[in-house]
Amino acid sequence: MSRIEVRDLWKRYRRPHQRVNTLKEALVAFFRGQTGYEEFWALRSISFTVEPGEVVGVVGPNGSGKSTLLAILARVLVPTRGTVRVEGRVCPMLELGTGFHPDLTGRENVYLNASLLGLNRRETRDRYGAIVEFAELAEFMDAPVKTYSSGMVVRLGFSVAVHLDPDVLLIDEVLGVGDEHFQHKSFERMMEFKQQGKTILVVSHELNAIGRFCERAIWLDHGHMMMDSTSDQVVQKYHSAVEEVERAAAQVRAPHAHPV
Amino acid sequence: MKEIAELWRYREVLLNLVHRNLRVRYKNSILGFFWSLLNPLMQIGVWYFVFKIIMENPERNYTAFLITGFLPWLFFSQTVLDSTACVTQEMALVKKAYFPRTILPLAALMSNIVHLALAFVVLVGLFAIWRVDVNLHYLLVIPATLLIVTFAYGLSAMLAAWSVFYADVKFIVGNLLSLWFFLTPILYPLGNFLGKQVTGKDWLTQIISDWLPWIKQVYLLDPVAICVLGYRSGLLQGGGNPIVVTSGPARSPAVAEAMQAQLRAQYPIGLYILGSAAIAIAFAVVGHIIFLRKSHLFAERA
Repeated sequence: MSRIEVRDLWKRYRRPHQRVNTLKEALVAFFRGQTGYEEFWALRSISFTVEPGEVVGVVGPNGSGKSTLLAILARVLVPTRGTVRVEGRVCPMLELGTGFHPDLTGRENVYLNASLLGLNRRETRDRYGAIVEFAELAEFMDAPVKTYSSGMVVRLGFSVAVHLDPDVLLIDEVLGVGDEHFQHKSFERMMEFKQQGKTILVVSHELNAIGRFCERAIWLDHGHMMMDSTSDQVVQKYHSAVEEVERAAAQVRAPHAHPV
Repeated sequence: MKEIAELWRYREVLLNLVHRNLRVRYKNSILGFFWSLLNPLMQIGVWYFVFKIIMENPERNYTAFLITGFLPWLFFSQTVLDSTACVTQEMALVKKAYFPRTILPLAALMSNIVHLALAFVVLVGLFAIWRVDVNLHYLLVIPATLLIVTFAYGLSAMLAAWSVFYADVKFIVGNLLSLWFFLTPILYPLGNFLGKQVTGKDWLTQIISDWLPWIKQVYLLDPVAICVLGYRSGLLQGGGNPIVVTSGPARSPAVAEAMQAQLRAQYPIGLYILGSAAIAIAFAVVGHIIFLRKSHLFAERA
């Protein structure tokens, strides 16, 4: 049975024409007849399956729906249409380091964060040593998180997430966190997961990393699935498409750039 | 059923959030948790000075009267206020991972239940000083608390959901609560209000006097008022009928007694208790449904 199954997935965001934040604005908008929303389809008829042990990259320009797709797989967002099924324990690595409370200590935040990701108290206690060691924050764990640097916060968030022992990892642009040393370490960790046969979905703009790390890739553009193939082929096609767009743009600009 | 199983699965999140709320409320304060006890005591001290010393309230133990009314009110108003921020403050968590969103208003509710339990420590201390007899009627506090907790959950779940989309909810709630406080028998005995007749010529008094019988009905159906009356009846009156008319400079004991008997006949308290329980349960169900129906949109609200 496949680990991830996405069938005819559509996601619509509704944005009010003018952002309505207060009742007064809502009333004014209502009486002017501006009840309409601007509809925006972030994903259109996406279907794919991922087998256990597959490592899949998701590429595409900004606003193509990559993060929306991952958020739906993580159950943070709900699909507008279609079905999504994910088997096993999911580790969502979205917005790392957010959700830490600045006034709580590192230790307290680890327990809160781990429970949010589905670990119980005992499981967290068992992994606590490893989490702290991986984040290299042993001497800071009893200090409030507000005293941490932003790099330290992200390291701790990453470390909690990778110690979940997940079946499925959903990674949104978080491979480049921390300093050179930590980046290297986190990449090693991802390779370990890959060797252990975990199912991984990774969103990244770094095409080289996608090409090296994933066997398969999905290319999204404006919510459409453009391609689902081996990562080499997808990266190559995507690359040439981007170049083509840039060439066209350069031609349009050219006469203005060099007035004769 | 599925929902309850899901909540159970995520119970650690709920406990961690409650723990965090309690830790964070008094951060950077030296007295910490003592503020949970000191705040109501100081408030009661001020009222005692104004209403007992200056305005000469005839109630015999006015401090006991105040505190039994104020504890449930403090729980209710704080829960409702907290609810308007309980989702918006946790947006980072909402966008990060899935968990049953009902946990957010529940965490606010449970944190305030802990504060209420702490405040009971003050009550017990005072009762020990006054050497009040402990009796079984004290147990009336339990159903009264259940009533107000049910009502507070329903109201705070719907306010929590709406406040994600409309920032006004917070301000409206703040204003309504200060009105609500005076429309609950905390500072004055219920009988004084129920026995009130208004006569006057100006238009405002006219309107109020026309509507007064209805206002009295709504007043008695308010679960908050019924809870306060339950506390008073259980802790101070040995389970007696909470509709009490006190005698004083304005009323002789005989007049007060006749008025009290008449009011008790006119307002059968048992019916109002049932009515307010029905209202509390209706609020809990409707509030929960509103929250669930809105909750899948929370994460999209940046």
